[in-house]
Amino acid sequence: MKKQPGTEAYRFLGQDVRSKELPRHVSGRGRFVDDNQTRGMAFAAILRSPYPHARIRSVDASRAAAAPGVLAVLTPDEIRRSTQPFKMGRYAAGLPVQISEYAMAVDKVRYVGEPVAAVVAIDAMKAEDALELIDVDYEPLDSVVDPLEAMRPNSALVFDECGSNVVVNRALMFGDVDAALREADVIVRGDYRVHRYSSTALEPFACMASFDPTAGELTVLCNAQIPEVIHDGLKETLGIAAIRVIIADIGGAFGQKIHLIRKYVVITGLLARKCGRPVKWVEDRAEHMMAGGHSCGQIFKVEAGVRKDGTVLGIRIAEIDDVGGAVSTASIHFTNKLSALVNTYRVKNVALEGKSVVTNKCPVVPNRAIGKPALIFVWERMIDRIAEKLGLDPLAVRSINCIRKEEFPYLTPSGNMYDSGDYQRLLDTAAKEFGFAQLRKMQTEALQAGRYLGIGLAMAIEPGGRNAARDMSIAKERAVGAAGGINGATVRIERDGTVTIVLSTPNAGQAHETTACQVAAEVLDISPEFIRIAGPVFDSAVSAWGVASANSGQNFHLYDLGAVQGACQKLREKLLTLSSAIVGRPAESILVKDGTVWSREPREALISVGEVAKLSYSNQTVVPDGLEPGLQATFFYRFPHDVPFILPDENGRVQGQFTFAAGVHSAFVEVDIETGHVKVLRYLIVSDCGTIINPKVVDGMMYGAAAHGISAALGEGHVYDASGQLMTTTFTAYGKPTTQDSPHIEIIHEPCPSPFSVFGQKAAGDGAAIPAPAAIASAVENALKPFGVSVHELPLGPEAVLMLLDKARQKGAASVS
Amino acid sequence: MSDHKIVVTVNGRRQEAWVEARTLLVTFVRETLELTGTHIGCVIGECGACSLLVNGELVKSCLMLAMQADGAEITTIEGLERDAKLHPVQEAFVRELGGQCGFCTPGMVMASVYLLRQDNNPSEETIRRRLSGNLCMCTGYVQIVKSVQAAAEMLREQDQ
Repeated sequence: MKKQPGTEAYRFLGQDVRSKELPRHVSGRGRFVDDNQTRGMAFAAILRSPYPHARIRSVDASRAAAAPGVLAVLTPDEIRRSTQPFKMGRYAAGLPVQISEYAMAVDKVRYVGEPVAAVVAIDAMKAEDALELIDVDYEPLDSVVDPLEAMRPNSALVFDECGSNVVVNRALMFGDVDAALREADVIVRGDYRVHRYSSTALEPFACMASFDPTAGELTVLCNAQIPEVIHDGLKETLGIAAIRVIIADIGGAFGQKIHLIRKYVVITGLLARKCGRPVKWVEDRAEHMMAGGHSCGQIFKVEAGVRKDGTVLGIRIAEIDDVGGAVSTASIHFTNKLSALVNTYRVKNVALEGKSVVTNKCPVVPNRAIGKPALIFVWERMIDRIAEKLGLDPLAVRSINCIRKEEFPYLTPSGNMYDSGDYQRLLDTAAKEFGFAQLRKMQTEALQAGRYLGIGLAMAIEPGGRNAARDMSIAKERAVGAAGGINGATVRIERDGTVTIVLSTPNAGQAHETTACQVAAEVLDISPEFIRIAGPVFDSAVSAWGVASANSGQNFHLYDLGAVQGACQKLREKLLTLSSAIVGRPAESILVKDGTVWSREPREALISVGEVAKLSYSNQTVVPDGLEPGLQATFFYRFPHDVPFILPDENGRVQGQFTFAAGVHSAFVEVDIETGHVKVLRYLIVSDCGTIINPKVVDGMMYGAAAHGISAALGEGHVYDASGQLMTTTFTAYGKPTTQDSPHIEIIHEPCPSPFSVFGQKAAGDGAAIPAPAAIASAVENALKPFGVSVHELPLGPEAVLMLLDKARQKGAASVS
Repeated sequence: MSDHKIVVTVNGRRQEAWVEARTLLVTFVRETLELTGTHIGCVIGECGACSLLVNGELVKSCLMLAMQADGAEITTIEGLERDAKLHPVQEAFVRELGGQCGFCTPGMVMASVYLLRQDNNPSEETIRRRLSGNLCMCTGYVQIVKSVQAAAEMLREQDQ
């Protein structure tokens, strides 16, 4: 299927095919959870902890239960009595003790906003009113907010069962870092910090549940990204015989809607079973900010051994992850780094050491590229530091360390098989198109006028298509429940010759429907306007199970598109065989294109695909012996290149992901030294995400991800006070950027198709969020070079910039005196 | 909680309803009128997902009580199409991919319609200023700005 770019053009791939999703969204016909209403529907509301850390002595919901319109209440006692805890999955790999995590707090509350009780009533307002009638007797405990303090022996414990707030402690070494440090000409060290932020999807969590006691079936409609997490969560906790998961439109997800949302689906499902009516629950903004999941605050200590020419011989990265008040996602910010551990570089000796520390904050979730923005922040800050220390050009240090294009496929020390890339070309294009030399001139001139301009650069890989076995590289038990990635799709030719695709992945804004139709159009040689996606996008009653991928590790491009391609290929072959039998000509002498079966020579229409389809469903006498009637095909795709490390070896080497896009980000900023405000004057991305299926879709993903990374670098983020209260429960307090804060972004594509995926495509989604914080940090530091400022921490909001300037001035004054 | 009778004209259709005094306009539009294209992203006027037009003015409908709309003419996202054809602003958002998940999209479209009624040739700076009350988490706004520019061009051609 793969064609060399430039030799044979694709008919539909690479085109800006009209969006399949947006016509319904621009006209208000989206199908979001809260847009649904059914007869007899009741509404749930959740009581949440006002304390960061407290023991729950008792919960008395009797007054609420007696309130007008209230149908049922849920308390911790009942949760403990009538549900089971979730099983700890791969997100908690390496956890030494089993911790019972229920859908609500049962003994203690461990973060502000943790659910404690729930009410279901005949309308939403009555449910909310009734929350005020629930009496909870809390015994407040010392809260654990700062992860470094949490690690001290005398700290209060978030989980008594663990005996320490360090719940996972792990170290992996590939090669020999100590030897590399000994051999090095120079050792460069750095301490770095990245703050908590999140993607704050505009649509908060939402769920509708209905329970049929006669069939024992629970049906949930929710805006979760990964249906399997919801299915398994309901099964584990409620033990219900039959579960149907439906997912329609999702109002943004970014990883945020993978994990914690399962709690709320369980609560809603339980309430539906209890009150005997369909129940809807919709989270509000403040609830989502408090308890919907954050990215991880990460603290790093790094040392690298470097040769005089800038070659990195070895690097040791030690991190402390502030994972918040739950253990079920304790490991993800560590294990996800394994997919990008050496970034785009050839370094052979790498160590990653990490401690996951629980605190009384919101649990962490897989937010937009899970830990990789922080890892790349560290890598790229280190490269800039190395350049500074050795008096080299930062571009040159990147060049000398980059994997060469002739080295692909490239096996990294931690076991990743990088598929393809030409990183030097990305750097060259960035240097040329961004015009570094000219910008430096501008910078010097501006400085004379008292303006502080800075040029920043960062590069990163964007791994795509996750390997579920990756997390097990740090688990004692090497037996794996899941490995690699599998996903299925069903494609059907309708009785009129049009095509329907049943996807097994929900759509959270990544244009999965448009892209899947484009792929089907290419294989079936029919215009995408005749292809539709069966909706709701995911329905476990008809969709295939697999590694669903509404942004999870950018699985869609690999697994789902592989499945759609495979199903269409099967269908195409079947259509030819069947048509050949129907028209009575050899299969080699006919072709199918644009809904018609044609003879090749002379080219004339023989029969419409619609007629063939109709016959395939209604007349068995035309179907050749041995051929299954009907024109429907299901195909399960599996990643084809699973050697050598799809399962971790004894050293923890593992293929974290399977395709490796890359990008170079260049930023040109101005820092106002009076206000600390940073303005992005120009931002350029030079990207390789392989074969591009829909340029506008890919660009859109990149703009959004980069904008988020830039904003996170410049101040967007969550802030807790010293007692563990979240100060950022609104968009304004949180610092969400508007149209006026987000810069214009330019993109240049330098695609290097993957030899492993069906069309050469690579991930193109979260990628641009990975290097963006590093690029901004680099530019801000560069702008403030006259003051001797060095940037080690994010975010760089105005206050932080002014503090950096103050610190540098004090240091300068001290050194003068 | 007292109930009040209101009369509104929504997308050209006169409607009467009883509302509780505390009912927000957005709740009234979504739940009572069942026009669910107007979305709720924050309920405190920060995100603009609930933007609609009240007597021709752009309003965040979570910041207004339904009672306050008594006697008003309201246009929601559902009221923009003519003869089953998308409004030029809607069409431009489809072509330029001015939305991704679609949750902010109706509000963005309403704010853009309002802007372009007043100025059919806005600069990028004007577009960015005038849409700053509408948040989007997916797009980084780049293609939203492009959509408004494309819509402006379509509207100018239409006017000629």
